[in-house]
Amino acid sequence: MHEDENTKQYVLSILARNNPGVLLRISGLFSRRCYNILSIVACQTEDTDYSRILIVVSGDDRIIRQVDKQVSKLIDVENVTVLQRDKAVIREHLLLKVSRTAQTSEKLVELANVFHANILDVEPDSMILELTGDAGTINSFIELANPYGVLQILRTGAMAMGK
Amino acid sequence: MLLTGAQIIMECLLEQKVDTVFGYPGGAVLNIYDALYEYRDRICHIRTAHEQGAAHAADGYARSTGKAGVCIATSGPGATNLVTGIATAYMDSVPVVAITGNVNVDLLGLDSFQEVDITGITMPVTKHNFLVKHIEDLADTLRQAFQIAQSGRPGPVLVDIPKDVTGQKYDYQKSEPLPLMPLPHPDEKHLQQAAEMLRGSARPFLYLGGGVVASGASAEAKVFAEKLDAPVSASLMAQGAFDAHSPRYMGMLGMHGTKTSAEALRNCDLFVAVGTRFSDRVLCNAGLFARNCPILQIDIDAAEFNKNIDVDLRLEGDARQVLQSLLALLPQQEHTSWMQQVAAWQKQYPLTQSAKAGVLPKDVIETLDALTDSNAIITTEVGQHQMWAAQFYKFRRPRQFLSSGGLGTMGYGLGAALGAQAANPGSTVVNIAGDGSLHMNCVELSTVANYQLPVVELLLNNSVLGMVRQWQKLFYGGRFSQTTLDTNTDFCKLAEAFGVKAYRIRTKEEIEPVLRKALAEHGPVLVDCWVDRDVNVLPMVPAGASAEDPMLEM
Ligand SMILES: Cc1ncc(C[n+]2csc(CCOP(=O)(O)OP(=O)(O)O)c2C)c(N)n1
Repeated sequence: MHEDENTKQYVLSILARNNPGVLLRISGLFSRRCYNILSIVACQTEDTDYSRILIVVSGDDRIIRQVDKQVSKLIDVENVTVLQRDKAVIREHLLLKVSRTAQTSEKLVELANVFHANILDVEPDSMILELTGDAGTINSFIELANPYGVLQILRTGAMAMGK
Repeated sequence: MLLTGAQIIMECLLEQKVDTVFGYPGGAVLNIYDALYEYRDRICHIRTAHEQGAAHAADGYARSTGKAGVCIATSGPGATNLVTGIATAYMDSVPVVAITGNVNVDLLGLDSFQEVDITGITMPVTKHNFLVKHIEDLADTLRQAFQIAQSGRPGPVLVDIPKDVTGQKYDYQKSEPLPLMPLPHPDEKHLQQAAEMLRGSARPFLYLGGGVVASGASAEAKVFAEKLDAPVSASLMAQGAFDAHSPRYMGMLGMHGTKTSAEALRNCDLFVAVGTRFSDRVLCNAGLFARNCPILQIDIDAAEFNKNIDVDLRLEGDARQVLQSLLALLPQQEHTSWMQQVAAWQKQYPLTQSAKAGVLPKDVIETLDALTDSNAIITTEVGQHQMWAAQFYKFRRPRQFLSSGGLGTMGYGLGAALGAQAANPGSTVVNIAGDGSLHMNCVELSTVANYQLPVVELLLNNSVLGMVRQWQKLFYGGRFSQTTLDTNTDFCKLAEAFGVKAYRIRTKEEIEPVLRKALAEHGPVLVDCWVDRDVNVLPMVPAGASAEDPMLEM
């Protein structure tokens, strides 16, 4: 994708009523207006009538302002906050299956320790690691695990909470 | 009161003072149609020939009155036939409530007969939509639908109701319509800034959009233009929002705007835009639009700010309220030499038209204008005739010109005309059509005949898809791919087959007497008016050029 220098990533935190189709309504708005969603996480909140939807988009300031206003217009949407990276805690969750041999096992455990990753499962020739962190940490973890033979990667989109 | 769901729908319509609905029956709405039968002395139902016609009729009803229009369709194909009409209303911010039937709740999602996910389909073209699965939610959902459709920036709302929900019984309690949602209003600081901009301007340009009609701000716009002492232009959507007889009025702006508006745009020192979304048909080239002057924009929808063009000052609020606030802050201005300059342009660049032979559309519409004292409700289809209607009919008041601006829907006009005629029985309603468009919706001639709605179908028959052909002439070297119709359709016979009287105009001399006869008919009538196929819509800003530089001939 072509990205010019004004393009940045933003996290939109959307509080929406838990009505049927609400996620489709919101994501549909993004695709219809050609806003690119990098990741999306949706979950119920402490109030079961509401969902919190976190969407990472890339764009310049102007696009983000449009996204914000268009999403805010949806009837089911209660509130939209554009979170700035330095004023929010942003976390992602990774599950990584990596191949393992007797020789590499120790190295992998070491790597997991350095990143405070959990070892969820160990099989004769593979293991599953779990890591929570910001996107940068997760990217470097994957990079360092790569030489051992990454079999499967599963990562959530960003969860973010204003400080 | 224990009522069936279908009866509850009727009661909710009555709560909203709905007297006329447009629709077409089918299996999933049998209960609703049974209730319509029962309530027939209080709710008039007009059955169109096609559901698209019903949606356009509800839209015409809404645009001509300001009230929400209602259409009803059955599940599956009935519902999908509404979609073009709903999208048309969405693009032009028209309050329409569409009620669709669906299969029983336990059959939803099973690809049942005539089942379609109409809420999914219409999500991008409705302001909001609902699927009512429980009878206890029905009344409140309908009330909310009307509230949402009419609040703030209006728009269509769809309510999908499974058949069994309309059959179940539930306790109905009458209730007042929900109050409209509160309107935003700009803060004092921004109003002061705006007033300062207005006071500081020597050559202001006031530009009105459809929001002026929607918010009922025409009277305020008139006083404002006078106090600001500015010339005025209006978008297609705002035809009639400002009296076209006023010497201040310069005609439209944009792709088919007047040269006067274009010159004013080039020379103004402040552009004041009220209730407009700055469509690409107006901006032409967004990068070049009003590049030498600040823009002050008033709009109820914050998402319209800096969307298509960056503006210098934004006032978020209802056009009428904001203009009232500004009027209080603005002393009487005087821009005599600017107004003289505008008057000189108007004289220098009148809208003209020429053809090798035959009847000129301009003459037809100007004669219609004279014979109806500029007072008819005019609907249009889409194409050259639409632009000519906007250019040559001198609209006096808002809600007099109904046309599909945003979506540009051929087939809109006849449906809208019958809706407007049903809503305004005392008014003369004329649909100005092209032959391509009439081919798309001629079935609705049967509706105006059935209900004896005195709609005048004024066909500017050029035997071509004129507007597309004009582009082919200009940009495709005159290769008229699929735009020459020459279909041999005898529109007079067609009209008569549907039970509609018909007249024909073939020469200039026939224009007036025939139009006179048609208007005196006081019943459904079609006028097949043969016009030259080579007349162009001018001025025209070619694609990519600046709105300041329209071509005056081609
Ligand atoms: C439903 C639909 N299909 C296609 C178009 C594209 N289109 C725009 S104008 C036009 C020609 C209209 O021809 P006609 O109704 O004869 O009017 P004229 O331009 O000749 O006045 C067409 C095909 C459209 N606007 N709507």
